[in-house]
Amino acid sequence: MKYALADVRKQFFIDMFTRDISLEDCVLDLIDNSLDSYLIKHAVSIPNLIFGADAGTATHETGKIDVTCTERQIRVVDTCGGIPRQRAVEDVFCFGHDEDDPAGKLGAYGVGMKRALFKIGNKFHIISRTAKEGFEVTLRLDEWAREKEWKIPITFIDGADREEKAGTSITVTELHEEVSLRIGEGGVPGNILGDAATTYPYFLDQCVRLRINETEVHPEPIRLGERDGVVRAAREKFEQNGVRVALAATVAPGRRTAEQAGWYVLCNGRVVVRADKTNLTGWAADLPSFQPKYRSFVGLASFESDDPLSLPWTTTKRDVNRESSVFIRARGLMAAMSKPILTFLNSQYPSDVTAEVADIRDAVEGVQEVSFKDIAAKPAVGFSYTPPKKTEKTSEWIRFSASISSLNRVRRHLRRPNLSASEIGQLALSHYVKTECGE
Amino acid sequence: MTATSSSYRVPYDLRPCKQVERRMIVDALQRLAGGGFPITDYQYTGFGSIYFVDFILLHKLLGLDALLSLERDVSLARRVTFNRPYSCVEIKMLPASSEIPNLSRDVRHILWLDYDGVLHRDFLSDIQSAVTVLPAGSILLVTVDVEPPEAHDYRTVEPDFDDSKDVLGPRQWKRYFDHHAMGYLRLGLSEGDFGKSKLVVRSTDVLKAAFTKAIVARHELLFLPMFNFVYKDSHSMLTMGGMIAGRTEKRLLRASTMDDAVYCRNDFDSPPFEIKVPRLTRKERIYLDREMPCADDWVPKDFDLDAEEARRYRELYRFLPAFAEILL
Repeated sequence: MKYALADVRKQFFIDMFTRDISLEDCVLDLIDNSLDSYLIKHAVSIPNLIFGADAGTATHETGKIDVTCTERQIRVVDTCGGIPRQRAVEDVFCFGHDEDDPAGKLGAYGVGMKRALFKIGNKFHIISRTAKEGFEVTLRLDEWAREKEWKIPITFIDGADREEKAGTSITVTELHEEVSLRIGEGGVPGNILGDAATTYPYFLDQCVRLRINETEVHPEPIRLGERDGVVRAAREKFEQNGVRVALAATVAPGRRTAEQAGWYVLCNGRVVVRADKTNLTGWAADLPSFQPKYRSFVGLASFESDDPLSLPWTTTKRDVNRESSVFIRARGLMAAMSKPILTFLNSQYPSDVTAEVADIRDAVEGVQEVSFKDIAAKPAVGFSYTPPKKTEKTSEWIRFSASISSLNRVRRHLRRPNLSASEIGQLALSHYVKTECGE
Repeated sequence: MTATSSSYRVPYDLRPCKQVERRMIVDALQRLAGGGFPITDYQYTGFGSIYFVDFILLHKLLGLDALLSLERDVSLARRVTFNRPYSCVEIKMLPASSEIPNLSRDVRHILWLDYDGVLHRDFLSDIQSAVTVLPAGSILLVTVDVEPPEAHDYRTVEPDFDDSKDVLGPRQWKRYFDHHAMGYLRLGLSEGDFGKSKLVVRSTDVLKAAFTKAIVARHELLFLPMFNFVYKDSHSMLTMGGMIAGRTEKRLLRASTMDDAVYCRNDFDSPPFEIKVPRLTRKERIYLDREMPCADDWVPKDFDLDAEEARRYRELYRFLPAFAEILL
């Protein structure tokens, strides 16, 4: 038997697999790693974080993640527990996880950190310490690319002694030209801050405090609304192939912009799709195309599993794998849940504004924030709107078109040139009532 | 397009083919009940309009008492409520799309989306929702008009279409189907595939694709075809339906006598069961009934009716309604 070579060429590998991810998402990948260390160290349960009794409050001492992003270096330093030596030697620097590796919650594929390092610069330096032990790795990518071996030199160092000091520091220097250029343009730290705020609403403050260039990142929660007895959110739940799915769709509280509207998809608590209004979540397919009148719509789809590989996220964690059977099932439900909400929101804008329409508008404006855990705790049910009990109407709108010449005749007659058309209408009606109707 | 717009046009209770269809569906449900499906406990949801004919049949003949009628035209609220036949019929003034996600997951359903308009994207979205939420063992039926889309239908595609100047033909009908059922039609269809006589097949393809597309998302569940009726009282209509089934339901269904029923269609690739009510006098029917079920080549001796028509009568006579004037 003869064989043809089927090797992986290192340089090709380095160039190729950094192409399809943005710089910001690479930094988020590094933040994911820090978060994962925290989640593993404290054995944090994701369902508890989202749906548990303590959801929304920190149960352990929070970790700290500090991101520095300049034209010279990108640095992520955390106090999230550090990486055990054995994992560093056997798994962390491999491309793809070993089957026996204790799975993290946010690292599914085992490529995020390496891809981020390769994408950002030519040299990286990692120091990681658990309380007991530590290691250090320094690598220049151009030199490593020339070597045939797929190994990285590692040095063992002392541990941090104290749990609260244990953590990892990753520094990337000799930034690639295009990376320096982008950072030089400005905006990158701001983007990372904005992305982190919307990506980790369930982790920030509950698990970690995150700072980007010394600016604290505050979580931007996904707000869902209900109103007692009037507006009830739609909710669904199912489990498939070890993935637990919880869905909620409703009207969002407060004033909304079109940018905020749409579906949010969480995988193990991390937001992977934000405010989606595309075909991915059923819009312009099973649902109508998005229009600004639907800006109060909000949907939240949470996929959660002990095996992150079975979740429907892509390797960039910025999209959903449409072929995932669990997502296909969820998507059908998401469309079914959304439709009555869109019909409801649509009914705010009929050609004729009636009292019923005013009630609907009041209902939309009057929804109050309710947490995902409270919605998800109740049994599956569709969205509903119950109009308030009818009160006896004491007034009604009159609206008609009048010729400008006749309006001007009235103005001239009354010698009040500034009288508005609606004032003239009111005058005419009260005049008629007074002079024609009697008591 | 609305569930009721034909309720004034057509006296629902006097459409013989529709009544045969209803009777056949009741017969099928009786077969399923005999096969171990707890049909009496099913919830029936349909568009009762102001006649409630299907509701009356299901309550009287099968004992269903969880009955829900949906009506989207709120202006009919008082008439619909006035005509409610039994207290166990609940009425909701809602479109199907708003109620489907609310159907209980703990009860099996018979849901009949009995539209009286030509295929519309909203129907497909309702099918998608229904197949997505209905629990295993539930039965979904969908009826659509398979006449060519008319000017008011076509204006959903081209709002400026003026039927006093332009005539509708296969070109517009293709555009109509492309607009409303894109993604449900196979590729490569030409205008010739949307001629009047092809619209039954096109609509069948689209509904079949809608069931298939939606069931794919249901883990370990299948959509098992049961019905594929074509009939014409005034407009040509198509009804397709089947069961959302897991392994247990599939086994029960296959073991039932459902497949023996002449109208049963356990795949959507076979030709539909065509309900053609023969034109016969009362006297002829009484004569024929005495000979039913007849042999394949039997013909009546005392009047002219060919063997084909006699065979067709044999398929339908158990389900045929008889109408007579009653002086009240």
